Amino acid sequence: VGRSMAAAGSVRAALQVAEVLETIVSCCVGPEGRQVLCTKPTGEVLLTRDGGRLLEALRLDHPIARMIVACVSSHLKKAGDGAKTFIIYLCHLLRGLNAVTDRDKDSLMSENIQTHRRHWKNCCQWKFISQTLITFQTQILDCIMDQYLSGHFLSIFSSVKERTLSRSSLEWLLEAYFCGRVGRNNQKFISQLMCDYFFKCMTYKSGINIFELVDDAFVELNVGVTGLPVSDSRIVAGLVLHRDFSVYCPADGDIRTVIVTETLQPLFSTSGSEFILNSEAQFQTSQFWIMERTESIMKYLHSQNVKLLLSSVKQADLVIYYARLSGISVVECLSSEEISLIQRISGLSPFVIPQGSSQCEISDTALVKFCKPLILRSKRYVHLGLISTCAFMPHCIVLCGPVQGLIEQHKGALHGAFKMLRQLFKDLDLNYMTQASDQNDASSPLIYKNSREGNQLEEHGNGSLQKPCPNTVVKNKNKLEKAQTYLKVISNVELEAYIPCSTVKLTPTNTFQRDQTPRCFSLEKDGIIDDCEPLIESNSTANSTTENTRVDISCENLEIAGKGNVLPMGCRLLDMCTSQSYCSSAMPAGCVLPVGGNFEILLHYYLLNYAKKCQQSEETVVSMIIANALLGIPKILYKSKKGNDSFPQVYRRALHALQTNQPMVSSQTGLESVTGKYQLLTSVLQCLTKILTIDLVINIKRQPQKVHDEDSEDEL
Amino acid sequence: MTSNEKKNNGPQNKSCLCKLTLEMSRLEAKKPSLCNSEPLTSEGVRATLSVWRGIVSSCYGPSGRLKQLHNGLGGYVCTTSQSAALLRNLSVTHPIIKILVTSVQNHVSCFSDCGLFTAILCCNLIENVQKIVLTPTTVIKLNKHLLRLCTNYLNSEACGCRIPVDFHSARIPLCLVRSVLTSKPASMLTKEEVDHISALILRTFLLTIPENAEGHIILGKSIIVPLKGQRVTDSTVLPGILIEMPEVQLMKLLPIKKSGALKVALFCTTLSGDLSDTGKGTVVVPCGVSLESAVLDQLLNLGRQLVSDHVDLVLCQKVMHPSLKQLLSAHQVIAIDRIGVTLMEPLSKVTGTQPIGSLGSISTSSYGSVKNLRTAKFGSKHFFHLIPNEGTICSLLLCNRNDTAWDELKLTCQTALHVLQLTVKEPWVLLGGGCTETHLAAYIRHKTCNEPESILKDDAGCTQTELHLVAEAFCRALESLAVSLEHDGGEILTDMKYGHFWSVQAHSPSAVNWSDLLSRCGCGLYNSQEELSWSFLRSTRHPFAPQTCLPREAVGSSSTLTVDCLTAKLGGLQVAVETANLILDLSYVIEDKN
Repeated sequence: VGRSMAAAGSVRAALQVAEVLETIVSCCVGPEGRQVLCTKPTGEVLLTRDGGRLLEALRLDHPIARMIVACVSSHLKKAGDGAKTFIIYLCHLLRGLNAVTDRDKDSLMSENIQTHRRHWKNCCQWKFISQTLITFQTQILDCIMDQYLSGHFLSIFSSVKERTLSRSSLEWLLEAYFCGRVGRNNQKFISQLMCDYFFKCMTYKSGINIFELVDDAFVELNVGVTGLPVSDSRIVAGLVLHRDFSVYCPADGDIRTVIVTETLQPLFSTSGSEFILNSEAQFQTSQFWIMERTESIMKYLHSQNVKLLLSSVKQADLVIYYARLSGISVVECLSSEEISLIQRISGLSPFVIPQGSSQCEISDTALVKFCKPLILRSKRYVHLGLISTCAFMPHCIVLCGPVQGLIEQHKGALHGAFKMLRQLFKDLDLNYMTQASDQNDASSPLIYKNSREGNQLEEHGNGSLQKPCPNTVVKNKNKLEKAQTYLKVISNVELEAYIPCSTVKLTPTNTFQRDQTPRCFSLEKDGIIDDCEPLIESNSTANSTTENTRVDISCENLEIAGKGNVLPMGCRLLDMCTSQSYCSSAMPAGCVLPVGGNFEILLHYYLLNYAKKCQQSEETVVSMIIANALLGIPKILYKSKKGNDSFPQVYRRALHALQTNQPMVSSQTGLESVTGKYQLLTSVLQCLTKILTIDLVINIKRQPQKVHDEDSEDEL
Repeated sequence: MTSNEKKNNGPQNKSCLCKLTLEMSRLEAKKPSLCNSEPLTSEGVRATLSVWRGIVSSCYGPSGRLKQLHNGLGGYVCTTSQSAALLRNLSVTHPIIKILVTSVQNHVSCFSDCGLFTAILCCNLIENVQKIVLTPTTVIKLNKHLLRLCTNYLNSEACGCRIPVDFHSARIPLCLVRSVLTSKPASMLTKEEVDHISALILRTFLLTIPENAEGHIILGKSIIVPLKGQRVTDSTVLPGILIEMPEVQLMKLLPIKKSGALKVALFCTTLSGDLSDTGKGTVVVPCGVSLESAVLDQLLNLGRQLVSDHVDLVLCQKVMHPSLKQLLSAHQVIAIDRIGVTLMEPLSKVTGTQPIGSLGSISTSSYGSVKNLRTAKFGSKHFFHLIPNEGTICSLLLCNRNDTAWDELKLTCQTALHVLQLTVKEPWVLLGGGCTETHLAAYIRHKTCNEPESILKDDAGCTQTELHLVAEAFCRALESLAVSLEHDGGEILTDMKYGHFWSVQAHSPSAVNWSDLLSRCGCGLYNSQEELSWSFLRSTRHPFAPQTCLPREAVGSSSTLTVDCLTAKLGGLQVAVETANLILDLSYVIEDKN
């Protein structure tokens, strides 16, 4: 029997659901978060701080809750992190939306919004809001990320071009990550373990592939051992297969190995065939032939100096016997995942049993440095020293813990960390519509600007080009000097720009560049100070940006002329727009920000600024709601802090720093991935849109039927 | 679409609906989970924890009380005081206790020993910490610092409660085995029996050590053979393997003609004449063609080959065809089948054979040999005894009066053997009888009082007051663990020099000279005739520095010591603190009730 809900009620209902989830989830957030114990119906006991696991364990009944959980898990699959933050954002967003529609709470709104409220109420349709949300998510967010936030990003790489990663910056990143994922007393240890693992597995040329490989084959790359203290966890070189040897023959030196995926002993009949035995003698001959054949295959392997047979299937007694006689170690019943991992590392393809004569050459053998039994808590494993032919140096993590639940938690956290790194090491495309002012474009030769050219310009540009632009926001001070230097800039740019083929990019982001090397982390650095110096390369992959230098400069000039309002210039740029053009840019791989709500406060600040400049009221409202919801996370993070470290103080300081264009000082060490945060925000907004677009929840008694592929074919 | 759905789900289809929901519930979890916040503050959990602590602490030590476990329907009764047996048979439902129990069980399966130690310490830590008003964050952090202090101390040269083990002399290893035996009272051994069994265990252990071992030692295996209903002192150890066999069958095989070395063939494949795997397709056999006889022919050929290869003993893991057996015995070849998979590896080791998986030609290199073969009778059981040329496999014939006591004794022997293995790897033992615990508590108190900075050095977040509070809880947990050794109402004292454990019988006259009333400390290292001062363990004392660096001569003088395996105890300590931290860190318990 159907159960319906009114549209307005659905936000309220969703808020109620989200608030319940928030209370549970917020106990696990951040460095002060605690553990949750989950029991399964099978009697298994799980320890977790993982938001995804937690939500799953609750086995929620409520349809909206189930939808939220589904959204969270699809986000987790991609990003590996952020389930708890997801719920908190969502809850704050819903709260914000609810407050806007709630008539009794008008006093909370600012004067500016009051004027828009009438219009808002008139077209107060959820569909409209959700459309605004989609617009925001697909266009405005990217724009703000690219134009304002990117100026604050730091890079995890110590050299951006070569993408080299220093240990200390990885440590900062991982420590911050594990703070939210594992128990307090193991955070440091697990983060160190992961760091060690990463650097042991990595060769200098391995890039993102290593994360893909580890992420895909994570189950095969670790072994859990219960009953030992966590501190006994360690990394072992080589691969640990979760099997024991069927035959073990100790061998020294380089060991040749083959992979087989079928039984070596020929069978009487294969699937679908019929074998007719006409006499006892024939039977005996066939058996004899089978024996001979098996023996010859094994002898052949022996003659090829093969010392290790890795089989994905169970082999016959006879094979085992001959293997033992020939001194070949055998590992049977390997899973397909294990086989594919071995193949991926060693580049080995399965051994095809020669048909007919056994004179066939073995095409593929791999060398193994060692192959021996590994005994962990009286359970035996096969320890293989595979020689890698790819960029991944095989190592395994032996995870110890007093109970299985804890090991599972650590496994999950490590796996998530690799997912997070995998995302971090990718460039993130940002696409948005930017509005360029036509009247200026028409006269300007600088419509298309190429970042590479821009860099070139910097390289051989003189100091006058770069020095005047250290700050994102041009201040009212030093007006004269600025004006003069900008004049120089203009002359320079124009000179370059008139050369037909080399267009010059002088986007706002690029003009921020200082005459310094990019701010990167090096081993010597002790603390992290976030100031407004952006990365030189932050826009290196941008194809076309349409910001107009002329406009920028005119902005500056306007400002210099004494408007007195300190705002990022890009904002004004958008104000003047009359036409729109698509813009695609990219956030380079490895962008990070210091932990402790930096991302949230920054985005909050720029969103508020954006909201003030918005023409459309619903955009203003949505931006305001999102901006305020973003503060939910830092509020929780600083909840237990007192005095100078309390949230209002931190927030006030951060805003002050942003307004006066001073570096933001973070009290905590640790870094977090910007990509992760960005993806999280988009996922939350998508989920919220989904919630808003539902107007009726209908309870049906059977599973909604899936649309089969056949149907669509029929239609075709 | 919507209205259709609604109509279909109307009441007229009720029975159909019921069926549907039933099927659904089988498919997916229906009930939402139960979610409890701050589980440790609930009265129920506290009560459960304290009951649980009562059970484990009453079992602890040589005078621990036994627990009888039965299901109320008759059948098997287990009498025990060992954590391994106790926890295996107890079923707990509360998730927190479950975590605790699995944690202890995992420890036991790793180290065999110190299970109760771990369980009691963990409970004590949780209970003591709940009494202090500090956030779990602080407590967990400080517990970790204190644990590190303990492990560093116990692993350091300065440690005043550990003794090096020298396997050239049997004294300390024997003390270790004896301590294990006496701490498990459910084996029901008298003093003489303890002496007999501990010597036997040590001998068994020595038999598993290879003779000419260089560098990496691979220990052999000891097989425990049950002999119930005999006197404990009838237990014995033999090198080689005993294969039990009914008397009738044994008589058939006798007399053994040949003396001296025998050639052995060991089969892992079946010799019963079954058809081997024929593949996924079909095999068509016309009428009149008998594959069985073809296979039997093959078996008999195999038998003839064995005879012509002068094999004297044929062992088969699985079943042997009677005709083959007959053929072999006609040629004075002894054939034994149904050996079972567990004996295969030791047999292969003892005889030096390679298990044969072929019915065709057998490589001569697969054969092995035994030095001799004889029959033996122990109690009412008959055995074939394979005496190896050399090797590290031995059989321990273990006797005890009844089933339950035998089970307990077997478990104890396994523990003792495992503990010896661990001690070979890490040749140190800790003082037992509660002395390590009291000594460690005294050491921690002294350290936190005098050098709190060294403990808090890399942690700015905690104050010294917080450290004192948590350290006191930690020390009390260790001390009440030592107190759990006393079950007869006696009083526990500690001396102010070594920080050892001394117990006084109940109802002793008070206000007498303690040195007359006390004889030896818990571990037996010191006697009361030294100039020592005592104080009640329960009372508060001024922190003092217990004497570190155990002098060698002190160890030499005393005859019998109670000692514990260092590896097992250290592991137990770490697991107990880690588990306690884990439980203290819980903010929610979510129970899936499906």
